[in-house]
Amino acid sequence: MIRFSKVNKWYGTYHALVEISQEVGKGEVVVVCGPSGSGKSTLIRTVNRLEEIQKGEITLDGTDVHDKSVDLNHFRTKVGFVFQQFNLFPHMSAVDNVCLAPIKVLGKSKVEAKDRAMALLERVGLAHKASSYPQQLSGGQQQRVAIARALAMEPPVMLFDEPTSALDPEMVGEVLNVMKSLARDGMTMMCVTHEMNFAREVANKVWFMDHGQLIETGTPEAFFSNPTSDRAKRFLSEIGSH
Amino acid sequence: MGEILHDYLPVLLIGQFPNGPLGGLALTLILSVLGLALAFPLSIGLALCRTSPYRALRLPSTIVVYIVRGVPLVMLVFWSYFLVPVLVGQTVSAFTTLVVTLVIYQAAYMSEIVRAGIESLPKGQTEAARSLGLNYGLTMRSVLLPQALYNMLPSLISQFVSTIKETSIGYVISVHELTYSASQVNSAVLTKPLQVFLTLSLIYFAVCFALTRCAYAVDRRIEKRRAGVTSPVESTAHDPLLQS
Repeated sequence: MIRFSKVNKWYGTYHALVEISQEVGKGEVVVVCGPSGSGKSTLIRTVNRLEEIQKGEITLDGTDVHDKSVDLNHFRTKVGFVFQQFNLFPHMSAVDNVCLAPIKVLGKSKVEAKDRAMALLERVGLAHKASSYPQQLSGGQQQRVAIARALAMEPPVMLFDEPTSALDPEMVGEVLNVMKSLARDGMTMMCVTHEMNFAREVANKVWFMDHGQLIETGTPEAFFSNPTSDRAKRFLSEIGSH
Repeated sequence: MGEILHDYLPVLLIGQFPNGPLGGLALTLILSVLGLALAFPLSIGLALCRTSPYRALRLPSTIVVYIVRGVPLVMLVFWSYFLVPVLVGQTVSAFTTLVVTLVIYQAAYMSEIVRAGIESLPKGQTEAARSLGLNYGLTMRSVLLPQALYNMLPSLISQFVSTIKETSIGYVISVHELTYSASQVNSAVLTKPLQVFLTLSLIYFAVCFALTRCAYAVDRRIEKRRAGVTSPVESTAHDPLLQS
Protein backbone atom coordinates (compact mmCIF):
# COMPACT_ATOMS: atom_id res chain seq x y z
CA MET A 1 0.00 0.00 0.00
CA ILE A 2 2.77 2.44 0.97
CA ARG A 3 6.15 1.63 -0.51
CA PHE A 4 9.32 3.51 0.35
CA SER A 5 12.22 2.87 -1.98
CA LYS A 6 15.63 4.38 -1.29
CA VAL A 7 14.10 7.52 0.21
CA ASN A 8 16.60 10.23 1.12
CA LYS A 9 16.00 13.64 2.59
CA TRP A 10 18.37 16.39 3.60
CA TYR A 11 17.82 19.58 5.57
CA GLY A 12 20.72 21.56 4.17
CA THR A 13 23.66 19.29 4.86
CA TYR A 14 21.85 17.31 7.54
CA HIS A 15 20.88 13.90 6.25
CA ALA A 16 17.42 13.46 7.79
CA LEU A 17 16.34 10.28 6.03
CA VAL A 18 18.89 7.77 4.80
CA GLU A 19 18.05 5.19 2.14
CA ILE A 20 14.70 4.15 3.60
CA SER A 21 13.23 1.14 1.79
CA GLN A 22 10.27 -0.64 3.27
CA GLU A 23 6.64 -1.36 2.69
CA VAL A 24 3.35 -1.05 4.56
CA GLY A 25 0.85 -3.64 3.41
CA LYS A 26 -2.89 -3.10 3.07
CA GLY A 27 -4.62 -3.33 6.42
CA GLU A 28 -1.31 -3.35 8.24
CA VAL A 29 -0.62 -1.32 11.35
CA VAL A 30 2.96 -0.13 11.50
CA VAL A 31 4.38 1.57 14.56
CA VAL A 32 7.44 3.70 13.93
CA CYS A 33 9.59 4.25 17.00
CA GLY A 34 13.01 5.47 17.88
CA PRO A 35 14.78 8.17 19.88
CA SER A 36 13.82 11.79 19.28
CA GLY A 37 15.48 13.31 16.26
CA SER A 38 15.68 9.93 14.58
CA GLY A 39 13.54 11.03 11.63
CA LYS A 40 10.30 9.20 12.43
CA SER A 41 8.08 12.25 12.14
CA THR A 42 9.91 13.37 9.03
CA LEU A 43 9.35 9.96 7.50
CA ILE A 44 5.61 9.92 8.16
CA ARG A 45 5.28 13.50 6.89
CA THR A 46 6.84 12.56 3.56
CA VAL A 47 3.96 10.15 2.90
CA ASN A 48 1.44 12.96 2.29
CA ARG A 49 4.16 15.33 1.14
CA LEU A 50 4.13 17.70 4.07
CA GLU A 51 7.88 17.17 3.62
CA GLU A 52 9.59 16.88 0.27
CA ILE A 53 12.20 14.24 -0.41
CA GLN A 54 15.29 14.73 -2.53
CA LYS A 55 15.96 11.19 -3.65
CA GLY A 56 14.07 7.94 -3.92
CA GLU A 57 10.42 7.18 -4.37
CA ILE A 58 7.31 6.81 -2.23
CA THR A 59 4.27 5.21 -3.78
CA LEU A 60 0.85 4.95 -2.24
CA ASP A 61 -1.48 2.55 -3.99
CA GLY A 62 0.71 2.89 -7.05
CA THR A 63 0.71 6.72 -7.05
CA ASP A 64 4.17 8.26 -7.02
CA VAL A 65 3.63 10.72 -4.17
CA HIS A 66 6.50 13.03 -5.01
CA ASP A 67 5.88 13.16 -8.74
CA LYS A 68 5.35 16.84 -9.58
CA SER A 69 2.39 16.03 -11.82
CA VAL A 70 0.40 14.44 -9.00
CA ASP A 71 -2.77 16.34 -8.07
CA LEU A 72 -1.63 16.85 -4.51
CA ASN A 73 -4.93 18.11 -3.11
CA HIS A 74 -6.81 15.16 -4.54
CA PHE A 75 -4.12 12.77 -3.37
CA ARG A 76 -4.23 14.12 0.18
CA THR A 77 -7.93 13.36 0.50
CA LYS A 78 -6.89 9.70 0.48
CA VAL A 79 -4.46 9.99 3.38
CA GLY A 80 -5.73 10.90 6.83
CA PHE A 81 -3.20 12.72 8.96
CA VAL A 82 -3.37 13.19 12.73
CA PHE A 83 -0.99 15.66 14.34
CA GLN A 84 0.68 15.75 17.71
CA GLN A 85 -0.83 19.22 18.36
CA PHE A 86 -4.33 18.22 17.06
CA ASN A 87 -4.49 21.39 14.92
CA LEU A 88 -8.25 21.66 15.09
CA PHE A 89 -9.61 24.86 13.57
CA PRO A 90 -10.36 26.95 16.67
CA HIS A 91 -13.00 29.13 15.00
CA MET A 92 -15.22 26.15 14.21
CA SER A 93 -17.25 23.79 16.36
CA ALA A 94 -16.26 20.14 16.52
CA VAL A 95 -18.84 19.09 13.96
CA ASP A 96 -17.85 21.92 11.60
CA ASN A 97 -14.23 20.85 11.88
CA VAL A 98 -15.28 17.40 10.71
CA CYS A 99 -17.62 18.71 7.98
CA LEU A 100 -15.36 21.29 6.39
CA ALA A 101 -13.34 19.18 3.98
CA PRO A 102 -16.20 16.87 2.90
CA ILE A 103 -18.25 19.95 1.97
CA LYS A 104 -15.50 22.08 0.43
CA VAL A 105 -13.36 19.41 -1.17
CA LEU A 106 -15.68 16.47 -1.88
CA GLY A 107 -18.65 18.73 -2.60
CA LYS A 108 -21.02 16.91 -0.28
CA SER A 109 -24.22 18.59 0.76
CA LYS A 110 -24.29 20.17 4.20
CA VAL A 111 -26.92 17.77 5.45
CA GLU A 112 -25.08 14.71 4.21
CA ALA A 113 -21.74 15.91 5.56
CA LYS A 114 -23.25 16.71 8.91
CA ASP A 115 -24.95 13.32 9.24
CA ARG A 116 -21.68 11.61 8.45
CA ALA A 117 -19.80 13.90 10.84
CA MET A 118 -22.21 13.10 13.64
CA ALA A 119 -21.76 9.39 12.98
CA LEU A 120 -17.99 9.83 13.18
CA LEU A 121 -18.17 11.88 16.35
CA GLU A 122 -20.38 9.14 17.77
CA ARG A 123 -17.73 6.63 16.81
CA VAL A 124 -15.03 8.53 18.74
CA GLY A 125 -17.47 8.98 21.63
CA LEU A 126 -18.02 12.71 21.23
CA ALA A 127 -21.44 13.12 19.64
CA HIS A 128 -22.50 15.11 22.70
CA LYS A 129 -19.65 17.58 22.07
CA ALA A 130 -20.55 18.28 18.44
CA SER A 131 -21.31 21.94 18.99
CA SER A 132 -18.39 22.59 21.36
CA TYR A 133 -15.43 24.64 20.20
CA PRO A 134 -11.93 23.16 20.43
CA GLN A 135 -10.92 25.41 23.32
CA GLN A 136 -13.83 23.97 25.32
CA LEU A 137 -12.55 20.42 24.86
CA SER A 138 -9.80 18.58 26.69
CA GLY A 139 -6.69 17.52 24.79
CA GLY A 140 -7.88 13.96 24.45
CA GLN A 141 -11.25 15.08 23.16
CA GLN A 142 -9.60 17.44 20.68
CA GLN A 143 -7.45 14.64 19.36
CA ARG A 144 -10.47 12.39 18.94
CA VAL A 145 -12.24 15.13 16.98
CA ALA A 146 -9.08 15.44 14.88
CA ILE A 147 -9.24 11.71 14.15
CA ALA A 148 -12.92 12.02 13.19
CA ARG A 149 -12.01 14.94 10.94
CA ALA A 150 -9.41 12.87 9.14
CA LEU A 151 -11.80 9.91 8.83
CA ALA A 152 -14.47 12.12 7.28
CA MET A 153 -12.60 12.00 3.98
CA GLU A 154 -12.86 8.18 4.12
CA PRO A 155 -9.15 7.72 3.52
CA PRO A 156 -7.83 4.20 2.97
CA VAL A 157 -4.71 5.12 4.97
CA MET A 158 -4.27 6.94 8.26
CA LEU A 159 -1.03 8.49 9.47
CA PHE A 160 -0.53 9.39 13.12
CA ASP A 161 2.34 11.65 14.12
CA GLU A 162 2.83 11.18 17.87
CA PRO A 163 -0.91 11.49 18.51
CA THR A 164 -0.66 11.12 22.28
CA SER A 165 2.60 12.95 23.03
CA ALA A 166 0.94 16.27 23.80
CA LEU A 167 -1.65 14.74 26.10
CA ASP A 168 -1.83 14.49 29.85
CA PRO A 169 -1.30 10.85 30.83
CA GLU A 170 -4.92 10.28 31.84
CA MET A 171 -6.09 11.20 28.35
CA VAL A 172 -3.78 8.91 26.41
CA GLY A 173 -6.05 5.91 26.82
CA GLU A 174 -9.13 7.44 25.17
CA VAL A 175 -7.15 8.32 22.04
CA LEU A 176 -5.44 4.94 21.88
CA ASN A 177 -8.82 3.23 22.24
CA VAL A 178 -10.07 5.02 19.15
CA MET A 179 -6.90 4.06 17.26
CA LYS A 180 -7.23 0.45 18.36
CA SER A 181 -10.78 0.24 17.13
CA LEU A 182 -9.66 1.66 13.78
CA ALA A 183 -6.92 -0.92 13.55
CA ARG A 184 -9.35 -3.70 14.32
CA ASP A 185 -11.58 -2.48 11.50
CA GLY A 186 -8.75 -3.09 9.09
CA MET A 187 -7.50 0.45 8.52
CA THR A 188 -4.01 0.73 7.09
CA MET A 189 -2.12 2.77 9.66
CA MET A 190 1.31 4.21 10.21
CA CYS A 191 1.85 5.55 13.72
CA VAL A 192 4.79 7.36 15.17
CA THR A 193 4.39 6.77 18.88
CA HIS A 194 6.18 6.07 22.12
CA GLU A 195 3.27 3.99 23.37
CA MET A 196 4.93 0.60 23.36
CA ASN A 197 1.90 -1.13 24.82
CA PHE A 198 -0.11 0.09 21.88
CA ALA A 199 2.56 -1.29 19.56
CA ARG A 200 2.47 -4.66 21.35
CA GLU A 201 -1.26 -4.86 21.25
CA VAL A 202 -2.22 -3.75 17.74
CA ALA A 203 0.85 -3.33 15.54
CA ASN A 204 1.65 -5.86 12.84
CA LYS A 205 5.12 -4.40 12.43
CA VAL A 206 7.43 -2.20 14.41
CA TRP A 207 9.96 -0.06 12.58
CA PHE A 208 12.87 1.20 14.63
CA MET A 209 14.67 4.30 13.40
CA ASP A 210 17.82 6.08 14.48
CA HIS A 211 19.77 8.89 12.83
CA GLY A 212 17.49 8.89 9.81
CA GLN A 213 18.01 5.20 9.15
CA LEU A 214 15.56 2.37 9.39
CA ILE A 215 17.60 0.13 11.68
CA GLU A 216 15.27 -2.72 12.35
CA THR A 217 11.81 -3.95 11.42
CA GLY A 218 9.87 -6.87 12.77
CA THR A 219 6.78 -8.08 14.52
CA PRO A 220 6.22 -6.51 17.91
CA GLU A 221 6.90 -9.84 19.66
CA ALA A 222 10.24 -10.23 17.94
CA PHE A 223 11.19 -6.58 18.34
CA PHE A 224 10.38 -6.31 22.02
CA SER A 225 11.60 -9.68 23.18
CA ASN A 226 14.56 -10.06 20.92
CA PRO A 227 15.81 -6.88 19.26
CA THR A 228 18.74 -7.59 16.98
CA SER A 229 20.50 -4.25 16.85
CA ASP A 230 22.40 -2.75 19.78
CA ARG A 231 20.72 0.58 19.27
CA ALA A 232 17.27 -0.94 19.54
CA LYS A 233 18.32 -2.81 22.70
CA ARG A 234 19.60 0.40 24.22
CA PHE A 235 16.43 2.25 23.20
CA LEU A 236 14.19 -0.39 24.74
CA SER A 237 16.13 -0.49 28.00
CA GLU A 238 16.00 3.33 28.18
CA ILE A 239 12.26 3.45 27.85
CA GLY A 240 12.02 0.55 30.28
CA SER A 241 9.75 -1.52 28.15
CA HIS A 242 10.98 -5.06 28.49
CA MET B 1 -15.93 78.27 23.73
CA GLY B 2 -19.51 77.61 24.74
CA GLU B 3 -20.48 80.39 22.40
CA ILE B 4 -18.66 78.82 19.50
CA LEU B 5 -20.25 75.46 20.18
CA HIS B 6 -23.63 77.12 20.44
CA ASP B 7 -23.34 79.04 17.18
CA TYR B 8 -21.27 76.77 15.04
CA LEU B 9 -21.77 73.19 16.25
CA PRO B 10 -24.00 72.28 13.27
CA VAL B 11 -21.30 73.51 10.87
CA LEU B 12 -18.68 71.43 12.66
CA LEU B 13 -20.91 68.38 12.64
CA ILE B 14 -22.50 68.46 9.18
CA GLY B 15 -21.07 71.50 7.33
CA GLN B 16 -23.52 73.56 5.25
CA PHE B 17 -25.96 70.64 4.97
CA PRO B 18 -28.89 70.69 4.09
CA ASN B 19 -28.45 74.12 2.49
CA GLY B 20 -25.06 73.27 1.05
CA PRO B 21 -22.69 70.32 0.71
CA LEU B 22 -22.36 67.85 3.57
CA GLY B 23 -19.22 68.52 5.57
CA GLY B 24 -17.76 68.58 9.06
CA LEU B 25 -17.55 65.50 11.26
CA ALA B 26 -20.14 63.70 9.13
CA LEU B 27 -17.97 63.96 6.03
CA THR B 28 -14.90 63.02 8.05
CA LEU B 29 -16.62 59.84 9.19
CA ILE B 30 -17.90 59.07 5.68
CA LEU B 31 -14.39 59.51 4.29
CA SER B 32 -12.92 57.26 6.96
CA VAL B 33 -15.48 54.50 6.54
CA LEU B 34 -15.27 54.64 2.76
CA GLY B 35 -11.49 54.74 2.79
CA LEU B 36 -11.22 51.80 5.14
CA ALA B 37 -13.97 49.76 3.47
CA LEU B 38 -12.36 50.09 0.04
CA ALA B 39 -8.85 49.62 1.38
CA PHE B 40 -9.75 46.46 3.25
CA PRO B 41 -10.18 44.03 0.33
CA LEU B 42 -7.19 45.65 -1.34
CA SER B 43 -5.08 45.11 1.77
CA ILE B 44 -6.01 41.42 1.85
CA GLY B 45 -4.93 41.11 -1.78
CA LEU B 46 -1.66 42.89 -1.03
CA ALA B 47 -1.05 40.72 2.03
CA LEU B 48 -1.66 37.54 0.03
CA CYS B 49 0.84 38.75 -2.57
CA ARG B 50 3.31 39.62 0.18
CA THR B 51 3.06 36.13 1.69
CA SER B 52 2.99 34.40 -1.67
CA PRO B 53 5.67 31.86 -2.55
CA TYR B 54 5.83 33.43 -6.03
CA ARG B 55 8.45 36.12 -6.44
CA ALA B 56 6.51 37.71 -9.29
CA LEU B 57 3.74 38.57 -6.83
CA ARG B 58 5.84 39.13 -3.75
CA LEU B 59 8.30 41.61 -5.22
CA PRO B 60 5.95 44.22 -6.74
CA SER B 61 3.59 44.13 -3.76
CA THR B 62 6.51 44.57 -1.38
CA ILE B 63 7.78 47.53 -3.39
CA VAL B 64 4.35 49.18 -3.38
CA VAL B 65 3.96 48.73 0.36
CA TYR B 66 7.44 50.09 1.09
CA ILE B 67 7.01 53.11 -1.17
CA VAL B 68 3.62 54.07 0.25
CA ARG B 69 4.84 53.58 3.80
CA GLY B 70 7.96 55.62 3.11
CA VAL B 71 6.17 58.70 1.76
CA PRO B 72 4.28 61.35 3.78
CA LEU B 73 0.52 61.28 3.35
CA VAL B 74 0.45 64.83 2.01
CA MET B 75 2.77 63.75 -0.84
CA LEU B 76 0.29 61.03 -1.79
CA VAL B 77 -2.49 63.63 -1.75
CA PHE B 78 -0.55 65.79 -4.19
CA TRP B 79 0.20 62.83 -6.39
CA SER B 80 -3.46 61.82 -6.56
CA TYR B 81 -4.49 65.44 -7.02
CA PHE B 82 -2.31 65.91 -10.09
CA LEU B 83 -1.92 62.36 -11.39
CA VAL B 84 -5.43 60.89 -11.18
CA PRO B 85 -6.95 63.53 -13.55
CA VAL B 86 -4.17 62.79 -16.04
CA LEU B 87 -4.79 59.06 -15.79
CA VAL B 88 -8.59 59.19 -16.12
CA GLY B 89 -8.56 62.11 -18.58
CA GLN B 90 -11.05 64.29 -16.75
CA THR B 91 -11.22 66.46 -13.67
CA VAL B 92 -11.75 64.62 -10.43
CA SER B 93 -13.46 66.01 -7.37
CA ALA B 94 -11.41 66.74 -4.29
CA PHE B 95 -13.53 64.20 -2.43
CA THR B 96 -12.61 61.43 -4.88
CA THR B 97 -8.97 62.46 -4.78
CA LEU B 98 -8.93 62.16 -1.03
CA VAL B 99 -10.70 58.79 -1.05
CA VAL B 100 -8.22 57.42 -3.59
CA THR B 101 -5.33 58.67 -1.47
CA LEU B 102 -6.72 57.22 1.74
CA VAL B 103 -7.42 53.87 0.09
CA ILE B 104 -3.87 53.53 -1.23
CA TYR B 105 -2.36 54.69 2.03
CA GLN B 106 -4.55 52.52 4.24
CA ALA B 107 -4.24 49.48 2.01
CA ALA B 108 -0.46 49.57 2.38
CA TYR B 109 -0.59 49.86 6.15
CA MET B 110 -3.43 47.39 6.63
CA SER B 111 -1.79 44.82 4.37
CA GLU B 112 0.99 44.67 6.94
CA ILE B 113 -1.56 44.04 9.68
CA VAL B 114 -3.19 41.30 7.62
CA ARG B 115 0.17 39.77 6.76
CA ALA B 116 1.17 39.71 10.42
CA GLY B 117 -2.22 38.20 11.25
CA ILE B 118 -1.74 35.38 8.76
CA GLU B 119 1.88 34.74 9.65
CA SER B 120 1.23 34.64 13.39
CA LEU B 121 -1.12 31.66 13.05
CA PRO B 122 0.44 28.31 13.98
CA LYS B 123 1.87 26.47 10.98
CA GLY B 124 -0.20 23.44 12.02
CA GLN B 125 -3.36 25.20 10.86
CA THR B 126 -2.12 25.30 7.28
CA GLU B 127 -0.76 21.78 7.51
CA ALA B 128 -4.03 20.41 8.87
CA ALA B 129 -6.06 22.14 6.16
CA ARG B 130 -3.74 21.06 3.35
CA SER B 131 -3.63 17.49 4.70
CA LEU B 132 -7.40 17.33 4.32
CA GLY B 133 -7.01 18.18 0.64
CA LEU B 134 -7.99 21.86 0.85
CA ASN B 135 -6.14 23.87 -1.77
CA TYR B 136 -4.41 27.18 -1.11
CA GLY B 137 -7.51 29.30 -1.76
CA LEU B 138 -9.80 27.23 0.44
CA THR B 139 -7.19 27.08 3.19
CA MET B 140 -6.94 30.87 3.16
CA ARG B 141 -10.66 31.49 2.92
CA SER B 142 -11.99 28.87 5.31
CA VAL B 143 -9.18 28.42 7.81
CA LEU B 144 -6.53 31.16 7.92
CA LEU B 145 -8.29 34.44 7.09
CA PRO B 146 -11.26 33.99 9.46
CA GLN B 147 -8.84 33.46 12.33
CA ALA B 148 -6.40 36.15 11.24
CA LEU B 149 -9.11 38.77 10.73
CA TYR B 150 -10.66 37.99 14.09
CA ASN B 151 -7.31 38.37 15.83
CA MET B 152 -6.72 41.58 13.90
CA LEU B 153 -9.95 43.30 14.95
CA PRO B 154 -8.29 45.58 17.54
CA SER B 155 -5.60 46.62 15.06
CA LEU B 156 -8.25 47.31 12.46
CA ILE B 157 -10.15 49.55 14.85
CA SER B 158 -6.91 51.39 15.63
CA GLN B 159 -6.42 51.79 11.90
CA PHE B 160 -9.88 53.31 11.69
CA VAL B 161 -8.84 55.79 14.36
CA SER B 162 -5.77 56.84 12.39
CA THR B 163 -7.86 57.12 9.24
CA ILE B 164 -10.19 59.54 10.99
CA LYS B 165 -7.22 61.70 11.92
CA GLU B 166 -5.69 61.38 8.48
CA THR B 167 -8.80 62.67 6.71
CA SER B 168 -7.81 66.09 8.09
CA ILE B 169 -5.29 66.17 5.24
CA GLY B 170 -8.33 66.86 3.05
CA TYR B 171 -7.99 70.44 4.27
CA VAL B 172 -5.12 71.07 1.84
CA ILE B 173 -7.29 70.23 -1.18
CA SER B 174 -10.42 71.87 0.23
CA VAL B 175 -12.48 68.82 1.05
CA HIS B 176 -15.11 70.11 3.46
CA GLU B 177 -14.27 67.73 6.26
CA LEU B 178 -14.03 68.57 9.95
CA THR B 179 -10.76 70.53 9.90
CA TYR B 180 -11.83 72.51 6.86
CA SER B 181 -15.15 73.32 8.55
CA ALA B 182 -13.32 74.47 11.65
CA SER B 183 -11.10 76.77 9.66
CA GLN B 184 -14.20 78.24 8.04
CA VAL B 185 -15.69 78.79 11.47
CA ASN B 186 -12.43 80.44 12.45
CA SER B 187 -12.66 82.81 9.49
CA ALA B 188 -16.21 83.71 10.44
CA VAL B 189 -15.48 84.30 14.14
CA LEU B 190 -12.13 85.88 13.36
CA THR B 191 -11.09 86.68 16.94
CA LYS B 192 -11.07 83.32 18.71
CA PRO B 193 -8.69 80.95 16.89
CA LEU B 194 -7.57 79.20 20.08
CA GLN B 195 -11.10 78.38 21.14
CA VAL B 196 -12.08 77.21 17.66
CA PHE B 197 -9.13 74.90 17.27
CA LEU B 198 -9.45 73.66 20.82
CA THR B 199 -13.03 72.70 19.99
CA LEU B 200 -11.78 70.98 16.85
CA SER B 201 -9.23 69.00 18.84
CA LEU B 202 -11.83 67.99 21.40
CA ILE B 203 -14.15 66.65 18.73
CA TYR B 204 -11.37 64.56 17.17
CA PHE B 205 -10.31 63.40 20.59
CA ALA B 206 -13.82 62.40 21.69
CA VAL B 207 -14.40 60.28 18.60
CA CYS B 208 -10.96 58.69 18.56
CA PHE B 209 -10.87 58.06 22.30
CA ALA B 210 -14.23 56.29 22.15
CA LEU B 211 -12.97 54.07 19.35
CA THR B 212 -9.66 53.39 21.08
CA ARG B 213 -11.55 52.22 24.17
CA CYS B 214 -13.64 50.06 21.92
CA ALA B 215 -10.48 48.51 20.42
CA TYR B 216 -9.20 47.86 23.92
CA ALA B 217 -12.44 46.16 24.94
CA VAL B 218 -12.36 43.94 21.85
CA ASP B 219 -8.72 43.13 22.56
CA ARG B 220 -9.60 42.05 26.09
CA ARG B 221 -12.35 39.83 24.77
CA ILE B 222 -10.02 38.16 22.33
CA GLU B 223 -7.37 37.71 25.04
CA LYS B 224 -9.98 36.02 27.18
CA ARG B 225 -10.98 33.71 24.38
CA ARG B 226 -7.35 32.85 23.71
CA ALA B 227 -6.79 32.11 27.36
CA GLY B 228 -9.55 29.54 26.97
CA VAL B 229 -7.35 27.72 24.47
CA THR B 230 -4.55 27.07 26.92
CA SER B 231 -6.80 25.93 29.76
CA PRO B 232 -9.50 23.76 28.25
CA VAL B 233 -12.71 23.33 30.13
CA GLU B 234 -12.67 19.98 31.84
CA SER B 235 -15.73 18.15 30.74
CA THR B 236 -15.23 14.46 30.90
CA ALA B 237 -18.29 13.60 32.94
CA HIS B 238 -20.36 12.46 29.95
CA ASP B 239 -17.51 10.97 28.07
CA PRO B 240 -18.29 7.33 27.29
CA LEU B 241 -14.73 6.46 26.28
CA LEU B 242 -13.37 7.66 29.58
CA GLN B 243 -15.97 5.80 31.55
CA SER B 244 -15.35 2.55 29.73
